[in-house]
Amino acid sequence: MSGAGWVGRALPLREDARLVAGRGRFLDDLVPGRALHVAMLRSPHAHAGIVSIDVDAAAALPGVVGVLTGADAAALSRPIRPLIPTAVPVDDWCLAVDRARYVGEPVAAVAAIDRATAEDAVELVRVEWEPLRAAVDAGAGARGEAPLLYPELGTNVLWHDTLTYGDVDGAFARADGVLEERFEFSRYASTPLETFGCIADWDAGTDAYRFWTNDQRPGLTMAILAESLGVPQARIHLTCPDIGGGFGNKRRPAYLLICALLARRAGRPVKYLEDRRENLSALMHAAGGVMHLRLAYRADGALLALSIRDVTDEGKNLVSPAQHNLIKLGNIANGYRIRAVRYEAWSVLTNKCPAGANRGIGKPFMCFAVERALTLLARRLDLDPAELRQRNYVTASEMPYTTPPGAVYDSGDYPATLRAALERFDYAGRRREQAAARAAGRLLGIGIATSVEPAGTNLASYEIITGRRAASGSAEAAMVRIEPDGRVRAALGDPPSGQGYETVVAQIVADELGLAPDQVDVARGFDSASTPWLYLSGNYSNKFSVTDTGAVVGAARRVRDKLFRIAAHRLEADAADLELRDGAVGVRGASARALTLKELARTAYADVLGLPAGEEPGLEARHAHQNPLARPMDAERRVPSQLVFANAAHVCLVEVDPSTGGVKILAYVVVHDCGRELNPLIVEGMVHGSTAHGIGAALLEAFRYDAGGQLLTSTFMDYLKPTALDVPDIDVGRLEHPSPFTPLGAKGVGEGGAIPGPACVANAVEDALAQYDVTVRELPITPEQIWRWLARRP
Amino acid sequence: MPSRLTVNGEPVEGEIDPRRSLSDFLREDLGLTGTHVGCEHGVCGACTVLVDGHSARACLLLAVQCEGAAVTTIEGLTPPEGLSPLQDAFRACHGLQCGFCTPGMIVLAHELLTHNPSPSAEEIREALSANLCMCTGYVMIARAVAQAAAARA
Repeated sequence: MSGAGWVGRALPLREDARLVAGRGRFLDDLVPGRALHVAMLRSPHAHAGIVSIDVDAAAALPGVVGVLTGADAAALSRPIRPLIPTAVPVDDWCLAVDRARYVGEPVAAVAAIDRATAEDAVELVRVEWEPLRAAVDAGAGARGEAPLLYPELGTNVLWHDTLTYGDVDGAFARADGVLEERFEFSRYASTPLETFGCIADWDAGTDAYRFWTNDQRPGLTMAILAESLGVPQARIHLTCPDIGGGFGNKRRPAYLLICALLARRAGRPVKYLEDRRENLSALMHAAGGVMHLRLAYRADGALLALSIRDVTDEGKNLVSPAQHNLIKLGNIANGYRIRAVRYEAWSVLTNKCPAGANRGIGKPFMCFAVERALTLLARRLDLDPAELRQRNYVTASEMPYTTPPGAVYDSGDYPATLRAALERFDYAGRRREQAAARAAGRLLGIGIATSVEPAGTNLASYEIITGRRAASGSAEAAMVRIEPDGRVRAALGDPPSGQGYETVVAQIVADELGLAPDQVDVARGFDSASTPWLYLSGNYSNKFSVTDTGAVVGAARRVRDKLFRIAAHRLEADAADLELRDGAVGVRGASARALTLKELARTAYADVLGLPAGEEPGLEARHAHQNPLARPMDAERRVPSQLVFANAAHVCLVEVDPSTGGVKILAYVVVHDCGRELNPLIVEGMVHGSTAHGIGAALLEAFRYDAGGQLLTSTFMDYLKPTALDVPDIDVGRLEHPSPFTPLGAKGVGEGGAIPGPACVANAVEDALAQYDVTVRELPITPEQIWRWLARRP
Repeated sequence: MPSRLTVNGEPVEGEIDPRRSLSDFLREDLGLTGTHVGCEHGVCGACTVLVDGHSARACLLLAVQCEGAAVTTIEGLTPPEGLSPLQDAFRACHGLQCGFCTPGMIVLAHELLTHNPSPSAEEIREALSANLCMCTGYVMIARAVAQAAAARA
């Protein structure tokens, strides 16, 4: 079977065939010959000076080949350049130098013949610490009352600014009422099941480095590695194998640098893979924080203005500070027509694990605050929460709609999405069921939350902070090649971490070249020496469907155009009269006049005298695509931090068990609209999985630090993930409003339920506890919290 | 210390370091990399294997503890050609995303269906709750197990 129409089909995944048999090739499945294994000594203190490090005993242990300290790292490499320059430059090395700034920060590393020996050696490293008072409260940091992480900066505040769009003061003055609330969001993380790691090797003969890593953003990492190692990017060769989940977490250039320096010192390849404790304590947390929200409204429920003060707890994040702030700003109005917006941003260093990208970056908290506020306002105005939302949505006729901070909502029908979700949920019926259950003494609650879901990041938004543009836009590169034997191979600069790109890219290329997908091989992962790539390349920000697809389509069309030119020459026909048919190019209306891809490939690669005059031999094309919605910042400081917008409505029914404080989700409906679905099987899985992340953030997951900055939740025994008993059978419905701004009409879906999920569950729990007059202000909602609420008695 | 056990039906005999975990032994000494290691403290279940027919955390067992036992890994549950019906169901239902938890989930589901060929939806959920999946939200994993059970009936 061939021809158009593979895109949009729920094709089973080719990747799945190897993965169900345990035949994936993940980082830990790779071991180069002579490889050494690395273990790291990590700070037991949240904040402490390093007076001295003695590695003699460790280095002397049989089997140890190399040891690296912060002082070594400072001598052998350059600091990791921050994305945003701080007012006074501070050096961020791959190992702590002079001072450790969070529990789990690496301070020394050992390479040995096996991991066990390396871990034994780490225990022999003697560090003399000078414990310092820890900065654990970002609010105190914002007030200038916290110990300083970098005394040379004179502050823990990385960014503070107030951005105002529209007549905010006028709107508040005209308002019939103002709702004010304080919301708090815990640190949590998506914790991909495969931990992060790398293998590094150094070629002394060419001063070149070889890396294998499950880093999900190789383009940016290549730049950091080259700069810190002081070699041209051409001498760095980086490969990503199968990646066991990413969700934004899978990145830490510092670890690649540590391994590169150890490989250089040892003259052998070295391998490092986090253990789970290292992963939970030191890789990446979604930033926690506190938001003060003020919402101006009219008596009829119309939203007039939104003002938010947001203090973000960055931990020791110098790599991507203020990223959460910028993305919250870009999504501040959710799907609502709020024309006046004020956002006061604080990005504050603390002595905690670095904050960083985690499924939805900032949007789960932003959506939580806005959707909680809408729900509270509905209570205040005695309106149904669905009705209040319907009165305020941006409507389909207003699309494309530009939000006050400059995001463009490209298409969709938000009111219809919510209507469909309510219908699917049987909202009226469930409300009756809830009333009956309440009369019988049961605590049932219904929650509604809706969200927009952008795709593609525009780094030009950093101009708001720095006043200058460095990286910008959303772009990706791809390659499509018809091999000399007539089969097709494709490669993409975006290494998937479970999103099935080998299958979807084959579907797209099959449509463009008139083939069946099984005639298209798609390269696994990423290889900087063979995959086309850009600085912006990587598996992040939902960008596949809105940006990568353009690269794949573009490369395939270039190859197709060339095929047609060669075929026209060989068949003595006009290219405009040609058509693709089942692995061949033929003259329309003349079934006998056709050449197979194999025959055309022979001309392109071998019998090159048969090419049209001036035609370059070969049948390979590369294409890079940038999403057209990205823009630089304008004079009013408006800039889209993210691009194409999907949307979703979540409705759930929960029951609170007053005897345990436990919450059981009895029903959960999602109706979402991600434009054209490229492979509905993949899309449905993403909706379930992302919603499970939202449920985890709502009810279970939190990184808790004590007052001294010690992490109390560094195992899966105390950092709780949802199991098959916590996530219900999520019922998914869909609308399809294609985006006019993406090549295939597709939109992002990967962050999905992680955005409205926490708010939806929180709204439901609050509704279940209505008789106790509870207001949910922070997550997760633990059984202990519920027990405290219930102890108040109605 | 000298040890003897059976892995996927093949006898294995030799010196095993007493501190070698079963998961490291399978992966590094025998090259059976289908058994994955996700947490090394017995919670996530990515390393689930069968020991004498019962699911066990390979990261919490020392290889020498399996003296005389029959260990079955995902490789042992995969036919030489093609996939098992259970694996086919996982693929048909897309009961996975990144695939890292998948071998452990399939071992777990295999054990369930061996002891309970027609599990209820609740029994499937209960069994799967032993292992963590970070990608799928479990819905399509449960669907795959139910489909495999229905196909056997």
